[in-house]
Amino acid sequence: MRHRSLFIVTTAVTVGALTLSACGSRDDSSEGGGGGKTTVVIGLDAPLTGDLSALGQGIKNSADLAVKTANKNNEVEGVTFKLESLDDVAQAATGQQNATKLVGNQDVMGVVGPLNSDVGQAMQKVFANDNLVQVSPANTNPEMTQGKDWQTGKKVRGFDTYFRTATTDAIQGPYAAQFMFNEKKLKNVYVIDDKKTYGAGLAATFSTEFKKLGGKVVGTDHINPDDKDFSSVASKVAQTKADFVYYGGEYPAGAPLASQIKNAGAKIPTVGGDALFSAEYIKLGKKNSEGDFASSVGAPLETLDTAKKFIADYSAGGYDGAFEAYGGYSYDSTWAIIQAVKAVVEKNDGKLPSDVKDARKQITEAMQDVKFDGVTGTVGFDEYGDTINKQLSLYEVKGGKHVPVKTGVFEG
Amino acid sequence: MNDLPQQLANGLLLGALYGLIAIGYTMVYGIVQLINFAHGEIFMIGGFGALTVFLWLPSGTSLLLALPLMILMAMACSVLVAVGAERFAYRPLRNAPRLAPLITAIGLSIALQQAIWAFYPDATKSRPFPEFEGGRLDFGAFAISRGDLFLLIAAPLCMITLGVFVSKTRTGRAMQATSQDPDTAKLMGINTDRIIVTAFAIGAAFAAIAAVAHGLKYGEVNFKMGFIAGLKAFTAAVLGGIGNIYGAMIGGLVLGLAEAMATAYIENIPGMSQLGGGAWKDVWAFVLLILVLLLRPQGLLGARVSDRA
Amino acid sequence: MSGIGPVEPGEDTYQHPAAPAAGATPSRVRHVVPARHRRKAVLAAVATLATGVGVYAVNAPEPPPAPPPPWPSQVVGFAYAGASPDDGHAGAFTFGVSISTEPGRRVTVDAITQPSAALAVSTEPSAPFTVPAGKSRDVTVTVYVLDCGEVPRNSGLPFLEVTLRNERAVQKQSRILGGGYPEDLGAAIGRACADPAP
Repeated sequence: MRHRSLFIVTTAVTVGALTLSACGSRDDSSEGGGGGKTTVVIGLDAPLTGDLSALGQGIKNSADLAVKTANKNNEVEGVTFKLESLDDVAQAATGQQNATKLVGNQDVMGVVGPLNSDVGQAMQKVFANDNLVQVSPANTNPEMTQGKDWQTGKKVRGFDTYFRTATTDAIQGPYAAQFMFNEKKLKNVYVIDDKKTYGAGLAATFSTEFKKLGGKVVGTDHINPDDKDFSSVASKVAQTKADFVYYGGEYPAGAPLASQIKNAGAKIPTVGGDALFSAEYIKLGKKNSEGDFASSVGAPLETLDTAKKFIADYSAGGYDGAFEAYGGYSYDSTWAIIQAVKAVVEKNDGKLPSDVKDARKQITEAMQDVKFDGVTGTVGFDEYGDTINKQLSLYEVKGGKHVPVKTGVFEG
Repeated sequence: MNDLPQQLANGLLLGALYGLIAIGYTMVYGIVQLINFAHGEIFMIGGFGALTVFLWLPSGTSLLLALPLMILMAMACSVLVAVGAERFAYRPLRNAPRLAPLITAIGLSIALQQAIWAFYPDATKSRPFPEFEGGRLDFGAFAISRGDLFLLIAAPLCMITLGVFVSKTRTGRAMQATSQDPDTAKLMGINTDRIIVTAFAIGAAFAAIAAVAHGLKYGEVNFKMGFIAGLKAFTAAVLGGIGNIYGAMIGGLVLGLAEAMATAYIENIPGMSQLGGGAWKDVWAFVLLILVLLLRPQGLLGARVSDRA
Repeated sequence: MSGIGPVEPGEDTYQHPAAPAAGATPSRVRHVVPARHRRKAVLAAVATLATGVGVYAVNAPEPPPAPPPPWPSQVVGFAYAGASPDDGHAGAFTFGVSISTEPGRRVTVDAITQPSAALAVSTEPSAPFTVPAGKSRDVTVTVYVLDCGEVPRNSGLPFLEVTLRNERAVQKQSRILGGGYPEDLGAAIGRACADPAP
């Protein structure tokens, strides 16, 4: 039996090792700082590799564009900005390590990112301990700014260092529910989520509103976001009388899920949030993605004149890949940090305070009052650190593209 | 329960895929007692090989015409990597302590995954894989998608071919002999090095077919797909009795069925609604594995071809 | 060419100086027809003017780069101004909405509706009405309950569907009112449908 025990031990070791080794890699895009000038590093954390890298790279490139623009225009006198990008492979633990690393770098005065809400939650406390300001272009979970009990009206801001330019799921989910119930007249839904902070939260806000409107949740299920085989779940959906599926989760699992549901014989649309709003969703789902819906934060870019310059500059920048759903928000997040640095520099006679802790604290405080016309509209933050620009849109996949079908503004 | 036939079909198709990959684990283990953890990556590389051929062909080429070429290229890539791994990574360690080749296998797995990630164009995210046009095929009680059809044909065909090969041909019998006692086999004039290479090559070829089936079924390939698929296939091989080629396929089918049943029906059992559904299927699959190993440590089909322990 | 600029020369501009493009006074020209030299002079003057206009029209920088106005949705804000005291309508809920625009941006509200099939909406003033640039306008909105069986009792995100128009575009958009609107509406519907008779 010698082999068998060895066999069991090695199996255990191997499984553990393979899990831990989940490919990570660093990607620094650094340029030399100007001579005689202060260099301020803006940290960035996003999934730069892996399934969500299309969104992550869009965030990184757009932040890079903002930094380059600021340096070119000499936006802050005497300060050269530098971007340090870290890859979190969409893992909360990696994101937390990156946060610790960024805090440890004395030149980092602000951080853009991350993409995933669960990663963001893991990073919040690290930054709060050192007063390092963080602006996320993409976190949409309401708890992150308004605390766990936001639904009961007891909104408590957990972290003074956390800001975001993206609208929360508190609006996204219910808005999709209203649209499907009132306009599409679809009353039966099958709700699926990936059990992650973002996905489960979004699915919950959707279900709550859909039931309030009088709709019926005919079934619920959860999936593992790393899986590719959803045939059993798809068959279950096809068995019910569901009129559509709401999926709380991201496109790497969402696209094959929606596709397999249609392959299982249920010719019903799949509806989801901003993490399905990617060209990759259509590429992976191919023809099966036709007729699916995704809500996303912000107004369609073609209705925003400020976005035109960004789109032109981005394509002139020669970046690999599109700016994707969060590019504009990432540019605005980075620009907000630059503006906060500018405010502090102007207040302190053209220099940042020499004490790092003091500088970071002042920048965080300055962030609260930052206001400018950004790519996505007016950029500014309310008392919870949420954006004051709460626009959202619903898109339908038509002819292989996401086409806006409805837009809304939250005035609360 | 009226979707039972459909769920059985789902489970069997998924299981057949696991089984095809599991063959590679089981054959290599049967002959050199090595768990080749790089096998999942060999599977993944087959998928990228097939995709490469399809991208080379002029766009608009019918997938049916392209398929034989894709399969050949997938096999070529997988076999080349597997044979190379055997020759340069495992053979020098054949007389080293057991742990050395195992750790080598893990290292190789990471290296192959990262190589595809870094050097295959646009492989940092999922690459779409061609799929058959048209709706699903309805068989009355259940229906399958067109992509599944390939798996439905390929899996039994592969199993029959392998069965005949192992029991009827000279090389196949030499393989059995090597697995039973390599030293004696060598004394009988069997070139065991060649047999070992053959085992790696056959496992890789099956993994390549599985990779094409995976691509057609799910419409994408990505650099990470070898990890989960490899882990499941390894589980299937253990479940069926590692070292036994039929056990690998049976283990795969049982595992696939267990996952489908767990997804579909556990939540209907009173009091278990929180423990059912897609997110819990792996838990139930591994509960099954533990039960089988407790009651029958040698796996479902025991150790017919080998296990000299 | 922009609507503000001079009219561009047409085919006949030079041959028929009396064309409106010249901007001269044709009636007076007719009076002085006998004087050939006067006529020539006028002709020459008109031709010169027309040519000048033509040259200007061709060479003028493209419409003075006044940027197009932003889309209407980007310059208008809606704020919930609270429920009006009950005006006695059974099954109705009246509340105020303050619509404001940014300076220099006039927006016309073409319609105000809401999404639920069990509710109907009327406004005072009734649409379409215009909100002057940089001003705000108070509008009274009344929501009627049509069907108590179907009405969403406590929707968490009720909104108004508005159609906005300005020089740039017509946009249909949802304005999700905050500031207690969902609660007030829910309470009003609860009162209206307290008696499940209809």
